[in-house]
Amino acid sequence: MSETTPLLSGRGLRKTYRLGRVNVPVLKGASLDVAAGEWVAVVGSSGSGKSTLLHLLGGLDQPDRLDGGTVLFEGQIVSSLGPGATNRYRNRKVGFVFQFYHLLPELSVVDNATLPAMVGRSPFGWLGARAIRRRANELLGAFGLGHRLHHRPNELSGGERQRVAIARALVNDPQVLLADEPTGNLDAKTGQEILDVVRDLHRKGLTIVMVTHDPTIAAQADRRVALVDGAIA
Amino acid sequence: MYQALLVFRYLTSRIIPLIAVAAVALCVTLVIVVVSVMTGFLDMLRSSGRTLVGDVIVSHDLVGIPYYEELITAIEKVDGVEAAAPVVETFGLVSMPYGVRGGNRVEMLSIWGIDPTRLQRVVDYKRMLYWQYPDDELMPTLASDDPRLDRSFDALDQAMEMRSPEGAPGMVLGIEISPFNQRQRDGSYRTAPRFGAPQNPDYWMVGQNVSLTVVPVTSGGTLKAENRTSMRIVNEFRTGVFQFDNNRVLVGLAELQKMLSLDESTQRDPVDGTVLGVKPARATTILVRAKEGVDPNVLKDRIAPVVDEFLAAKASDPAVLKAQVIVPAGIEVKTWEERLESLIGPVEKERALMRTLFSLIYVVCAGLVLAIFWAIVAEKTRDIGILRSVGAGRVGILAIFLAYGLVIGVLGSGVGLGLAALVVGHINEIHTAMGQPPPAAIAFAAAAAAFAAILAAVYSARRGSVLYTLLWLIVAVILGGLAFLFNYLRQTGGFTIWDPRVYYFSRIPSQLDLANALLTMAFATLFSVIGAAVPAAKAADTDPVRSLRYE
Repeated sequence: MSETTPLLSGRGLRKTYRLGRVNVPVLKGASLDVAAGEWVAVVGSSGSGKSTLLHLLGGLDQPDRLDGGTVLFEGQIVSSLGPGATNRYRNRKVGFVFQFYHLLPELSVVDNATLPAMVGRSPFGWLGARAIRRRANELLGAFGLGHRLHHRPNELSGGERQRVAIARALVNDPQVLLADEPTGNLDAKTGQEILDVVRDLHRKGLTIVMVTHDPTIAAQADRRVALVDGAIA
Repeated sequence: MYQALLVFRYLTSRIIPLIAVAAVALCVTLVIVVVSVMTGFLDMLRSSGRTLVGDVIVSHDLVGIPYYEELITAIEKVDGVEAAAPVVETFGLVSMPYGVRGGNRVEMLSIWGIDPTRLQRVVDYKRMLYWQYPDDELMPTLASDDPRLDRSFDALDQAMEMRSPEGAPGMVLGIEISPFNQRQRDGSYRTAPRFGAPQNPDYWMVGQNVSLTVVPVTSGGTLKAENRTSMRIVNEFRTGVFQFDNNRVLVGLAELQKMLSLDESTQRDPVDGTVLGVKPARATTILVRAKEGVDPNVLKDRIAPVVDEFLAAKASDPAVLKAQVIVPAGIEVKTWEERLESLIGPVEKERALMRTLFSLIYVVCAGLVLAIFWAIVAEKTRDIGILRSVGAGRVGILAIFLAYGLVIGVLGSGVGLGLAALVVGHINEIHTAMGQPPPAAIAFAAAAAAFAAILAAVYSARRGSVLYTLLWLIVAVILGGLAFLFNYLRQTGGFTIWDPRVYYFSRIPSQLDLANALLTMAFATLFSVIGAAVPAAKAADTDPVRSLRYE
């Protein structure tokens, strides 16, 4: 771990879900520091809380109210920000990539990729629309999707969809990429292509937290942490 | 920014929102068409009523207004008055030339004594008269065997002179008085001894002799001996208002004044018989026509003091006092709307009732949008999670679905207005087409198409598609129903909703009530947004982590 202030930290994170009348604790005090430019792979068995950890780090979910721990970004507490500031954090600082791509089916490839940039602008922010589109086109072109800009997600292969999802995550130039099993829905060859893209981004200095249950994928990261029984082992 | 993009994409890439737009459009069309027709009906009723009574009515009881000619001169000097005409109103018995086994039948009717030439200056009397050679506007609408096309049936001059060619006093009957005048679908009348029988010239009223009996009333309100006069029917009139057309006859003003002892006479002392002076002729009513653009309410307020001043001056006039002429202390001055309130009021109430009842459509509209949006939000749960993951806030998500509801409301209202304008603008053509028996080819084509749909359903069933089997069966039932309907209409001679034999206007009002249409659109849009609000709030509350787990 870097000796300087970590870019992203989770300290004593606890998260409990309620299933019917039963409270199910998923995270039981997980702590993780991620340095700037680092690629951390979070491994663990199914249901160990990997995705939950990623959601908490990305501000998509909040830790338990009572003694639920804190998430810090560049030393600032993120987990207690107001709704607007949390939205801006998700929009600007981090980018999510999901196992099932999660593209909007009604939008074209380029519209999907520009979505976070559009969300980050005011309803009257049409003036910057061209610059946003240029940025999305560049990213999609770099990922080999220049000829697919106006296709719909259902016209793409799984690998292509995941590359669109990565372009979407990067369109606002976030500092951290949070990837939840990005190759989990792909065959080995396509999965490796996606990992090559991730590695390339890492090489360019992007901080990456990737959740995976596959040890061979985790081995490609700078650091591998295991989540066991709701805590980092 | 992204909200606009998503609303546009959601709207153009799915069929569900189009169903919502269609639902809103149909609701809006329904309300606009119903209220426009009702408003048109009311306008026609008002216009027809106004045609008969002018803009302002100055009236007194059966004893009448003395010195009415001087009063008319004073009224005609009032700013905004175009013309004024005297009328004598009373009730009388008319012995009509029809009855059981060729006898007469006595009818109790409202009798108006008029001076046709002067009345024409106040209301369009000539236009009311039925038996006259048609003008260029009416000509193309008449059937080729309409007797009015024969100039020998033109009785306009007789009605203007209120005399028969032989010089007998004339009477103009409301056209609905005679039971032999049968109103046709094109608005014309045919004479027949019973419904549906061929036209019989023996039953035309013009030229028939009648007798009129009226009872004069003294200034003290007691009845004098009745007066009876033979008259000749010289024309029939139609205002379009049933209450007038089946209950009123017009006779000459001087004739009726004489019969009612309202004509000018010598006033004698009841004790010694010495001449006191001249007892002036009296009229019960003065009809006043306003100049173009003058509000009848304003005119009424100008006329009322003139009438009061006139009466006060007459009451203190020494000559009037000497002649012992009773001048009424006050005379009623009303606008045509006030005068016809009993006629217009119920229709206004009916329109308000219809508007209220049909306003429930808005609630239906909101319910439809709510149900459709609930389905859309359920379907878009994952999208909501995705949007939240890239930084969209709850307000942003709420805005998407509210804007979506707004767009559906606006689009639906716009389409509804267009449809309504199309239907209202062509309502008479549509109605005429519906009133014609459809060609056999259409009934046959519908039956053939229904048979083809049954074959398609069988084919789909053999292929194992439940959905397509069901859809084809529905199509077959609809087409089969249409085939039966067309065949039924062929046998019954068409489907007439607005039957002029029942309603008193030959054409359905076809003027779009734009103010009401805009109000309807605004309400439909508002209720669409209200309908979308609950699902939108549900969408905003969706937990992004939960929604992203859907796959």
